[in-house]
Amino acid sequence: MARFIRSVRDARGLDAVLVWLALGYLGVFSAFPLVYNIVISLQTVDLFSLASFERPFVGLQNYRDVLGDPVAGTVLWNTIQFVVLSVVFQLAIGFGLALFFQQDFPGATYLRGLFLAGWIMPALVVGAVWSWILAGDFGVLNYVLRSLGITDRNIFWLSDPNVSLYSVIIANIWLGIPFNMILLSVGLAAIPRDVYEAAELDGAGAWQRFFTITLPLMRAPLGAVISLGIIFTLQQFDLFAALTQGGPSNASNVAQYWSWQLSFQTYQISYGSVVSVLMIVFVVAVAAVYTRSTRHEQSY
Amino acid sequence: MTKAAMRKYALLALAILFVALYLFPLYWMYVTALKSGSEIFRFPPTFWPETLHFNVADVWVRLRMDRFLTNSLIIAAGTTTIIVAVGTGCAYALARVRSIWMDVAMFTTLMMQVLPSSLMITPIFVSFNHVGLLDYPRLAVVLAQAAKLLPLYIVLCRTAFMQVPRELEEAGLVDGNSRLGAFLQIAIPLARNGILVTAVLVFLLSFGEYVYSRSLIGERALQPATVGLQSFMGPNTSDWSGVMTYSAIYVTPILFIFVLLQRRIVSGLTAGALK
Repeated sequence: MARFIRSVRDARGLDAVLVWLALGYLGVFSAFPLVYNIVISLQTVDLFSLASFERPFVGLQNYRDVLGDPVAGTVLWNTIQFVVLSVVFQLAIGFGLALFFQQDFPGATYLRGLFLAGWIMPALVVGAVWSWILAGDFGVLNYVLRSLGITDRNIFWLSDPNVSLYSVIIANIWLGIPFNMILLSVGLAAIPRDVYEAAELDGAGAWQRFFTITLPLMRAPLGAVISLGIIFTLQQFDLFAALTQGGPSNASNVAQYWSWQLSFQTYQISYGSVVSVLMIVFVVAVAAVYTRSTRHEQSY
Repeated sequence: MTKAAMRKYALLALAILFVALYLFPLYWMYVTALKSGSEIFRFPPTFWPETLHFNVADVWVRLRMDRFLTNSLIIAAGTTTIIVAVGTGCAYALARVRSIWMDVAMFTTLMMQVLPSSLMITPIFVSFNHVGLLDYPRLAVVLAQAAKLLPLYIVLCRTAFMQVPRELEEAGLVDGNSRLGAFLQIAIPLARNGILVTAVLVFLLSFGEYVYSRSLIGERALQPATVGLQSFMGPNTSDWSGVMTYSAIYVTPILFIFVLLQRRIVSGLTAGALK
């Protein structure tokens, strides 16, 4: 015992204890639910069997039920649209702003930092504000679009099944811009100035410099931001809760919201965990690719 | 004025325009909160309130904001306490020791960071139900939220510890300090700023937590401000004045802290995020 205490105070034992404290916590509250999730997805779990440990084992039947549900196709297509459109626009706008704020003018760093105000706000409040901006009758966005002559009728962003998904995407792009911009700014700042100066001396124009220097050298940060964008977009739940609740009739429903609805609104808990298992596998795969690529980059 | 200086001011003007466009939703929230009930529903809308209308006190009392915000504070404080207690040492060890096991630990931590709350809530709900944690719903939220943000805290704090020169600790060891002593009395004080900013970040993010609270806390009196706000909005809200005032009261302290610490939060995030 005394030896153990001494090793904790003085030697390698300390690092082990410190790391295991945190890993133990994550093991109990993250890793265990992760594994338990798979168990639930193979059983019949509803409100009646929730409290008991002896639940009927049904094998892959839940997976067949969920994937055979006609809603699954809609949700999958919505999720793909949600992720792709969100990531593409967050990246494009974020990259544009990062390039702009890279230029030398007074207050550039401070003004750039202000964008993070959007990121720090609770996403549910952001959703509340956007649902007011997007409101059909009195929303300010409809007013702006009509004044600009883009549309002549009010668009019912949240209740029209043709556009409700896009209204959540718009809000999500807004939320994601700051993070993309800040991370890409870090990447841009790491490109040595003299590379540009040399290219300029050789007579390369602004576009040429962008495509032959900036883009190739930004490949790693862009890859990181795209993977992180996919991960964060798949974490987005609050905006759906605040804006459309997946409606009308699943027109704007995505996997992570559907999973929650199955578990907590219709209490088909095993179905909810099926969706959850499938999505977690995907998210972890993206994260593993991302982590490996950053590692690779460090080593060279 | 020289041409270069003119260019700088033109860029500055453009930058301010971008910031203003981006932050318009925030502006709109505050302006709506200050408008009278009838002015809100005018079309075309007014971009500056004709008559200033303060209904902060009314909304605060009518929507029971004191209760909701207290619960949010309890959840945020509890989460931050657990994370700082459990995560600081781990971040330190990960910053100091280079070995294959530490790499594995780091990789595991990074993987735990990406698990979406809305997908983790189903197994968490079922297992918390087994052990009776749902009888203490706010504690349940704190435990789950701490697991969600612990990896982020470890990653960001690790960068803070990496900036503390190892030599200072070694000097402490030569002077007869134990390693535990060197960690507590040398490393932590020197990495103080990074730890504090990360803790504030964790606090702010937990102050706006929604998924776990919505799913684990059934009793109205124990729900935090996010769940409260959602329940007032409903599908057919017309009380936009109330909702926007509520939102404004809720986010103003968050924005205030953010503006105070903006520079540090940005640099902490950028240092940790890409490594």
